[in-house]
Amino acid sequence: MTRPRLLVDDGASAARGLATDEVLAERAGSGASPPTLRLYTYRPHCVLVGRFQDAAYEVRLRRCAEEGIDVNRRPTGGGAILMGPDQLGVALALPKQPGGLRQLMTGFSTNLIRGLATFGIDARFRGKNDLAVNGRKIAGLGIHRTATGGLLFHASLLVDLDVRLMTSVLRTPFKRIGDRERGVVRRRIATVREHAGRELPMSELRGVMAGTFDAVDRGAMTEDEGVAVDQRERERYADPRWLAQNNHVPDTTGRAAIRTTAGTVDVRVAVAGGTIKAAWVRGDFLADEHLIADVEGQLRWHTGDPDAIARTVTRAWDRAGAIDTLAPEAIVEAVNAAVSRATTGTASPYGCFVEPEPTHD
Amino acid sequence: MQETNPMEVPRDRHYDGTSHLWAHRDERTGRVRVGVDAFGLEALGELAYVSVDSPGAEVPRGGPVGTLEAAKMTSVIATPVGGAVVARNESVMSNPLQVNQDPYGTGWLFELTPTDWEADAAHLISGDAIGAWVQQERARLDEEAAEA
Repeated sequence: MTRPRLLVDDGASAARGLATDEVLAERAGSGASPPTLRLYTYRPHCVLVGRFQDAAYEVRLRRCAEEGIDVNRRPTGGGAILMGPDQLGVALALPKQPGGLRQLMTGFSTNLIRGLATFGIDARFRGKNDLAVNGRKIAGLGIHRTATGGLLFHASLLVDLDVRLMTSVLRTPFKRIGDRERGVVRRRIATVREHAGRELPMSELRGVMAGTFDAVDRGAMTEDEGVAVDQRERERYADPRWLAQNNHVPDTTGRAAIRTTAGTVDVRVAVAGGTIKAAWVRGDFLADEHLIADVEGQLRWHTGDPDAIARTVTRAWDRAGAIDTLAPEAIVEAVNAAVSRATTGTASPYGCFVEPEPTHD
Repeated sequence: MQETNPMEVPRDRHYDGTSHLWAHRDERTGRVRVGVDAFGLEALGELAYVSVDSPGAEVPRGGPVGTLEAAKMTSVIATPVGGAVVARNESVMSNPLQVNQDPYGTGWLFELTPTDWEADAAHLISGDAIGAWVQQERARLDEEAAEA
């Protein structure tokens, strides 16, 4: 593959950053622009919802307006994220590639994993769109295919994260957000600085990532590209109607609690159509916290197909070499029951970032 | 949940080998119905959301008509045939899994009145060429599965 051009950008507005990623991928598809790796940060702060999320369900819009926080909609899927100077955006724009999506995503995430390994961080690809360290999410990944066939691979890498700010602007099912709830969120998330064990400068991380992708710095965007980005920003991402879209598939929720010899397993899920948007596993059983976090992460944006759920949960147990008293079959049974109730129950939508309120924690 | 065998590709329509959309022209009305082929669904996985623009827009071949979010990616739906969109399948917008379950039937996405069917159809795979294309796509999927 041709070495990608490197673009570096700090302090992008949400509308500008999103327009740039999309335009470069479209132009890569049509051959008008070269393959490009863009390593960038957003100006503090912005919240980006996934392509089909309902912003009002996911984000405290009034709070964001009061705080001057941009809210916008990504072209990529997945959940709502908070972005700012401590989250590195990694956007790779490519023309149509030979090979399947799985291989392409593997190639993209392998470069990120290699970059993180430079700092002694053992990250792994997990589920649909996460990189995780010992079951804790460190990056969210997404792929978007444009009308020209161009591909946008995107990662939001948590170099650091202000959990207090995040839980104050993203909707959560917690009735109140205190230290305990923030602790729950913190235990599900890993950051580069935490695992590197030092105040790693963004410029150092960016340099390493540029190297793992073998990107070449050839300066700024061309004038044509700038004009196209201006237009896309104006016509889409700066237009309030882009954020205000609603989708036709309502969120539903389901809960199932089952008793096992190891204790009670209590599972709640948020489901959209046949897809699990989020799963939350709680109970009074004894199990490795990282294993449960991994299972929850694996089940995010996962098919609701019972056989696939069983395979995913069993694989997580196998990976962990789990010796816990809790059998994976109990989790599978509870998840399937919760999904079944969600898909046959009444709509009760809520934001999917932190999942339902824990009942046992 | 994938219920369609990618080898079972209907021979009565045209296929875009790049976007993996099919186009079927109703000889009586002249309308063209568009959907996702089984190879495209193999790559995408289960669909979580489908959005098709409201009817009325005139779109050139390759132009965007909507967006979908699947298990593995989001994708712009780029029409394989240019024309005026006259209908969208409301049913798949509220139940996107219908596309996976019945891609060549009730899982269609939209209909349009083509601007120049003959010219656009010439870019698509049809008739006797379908068999070789299916074999080629099947081999590609097998190769990818072996590498995974």
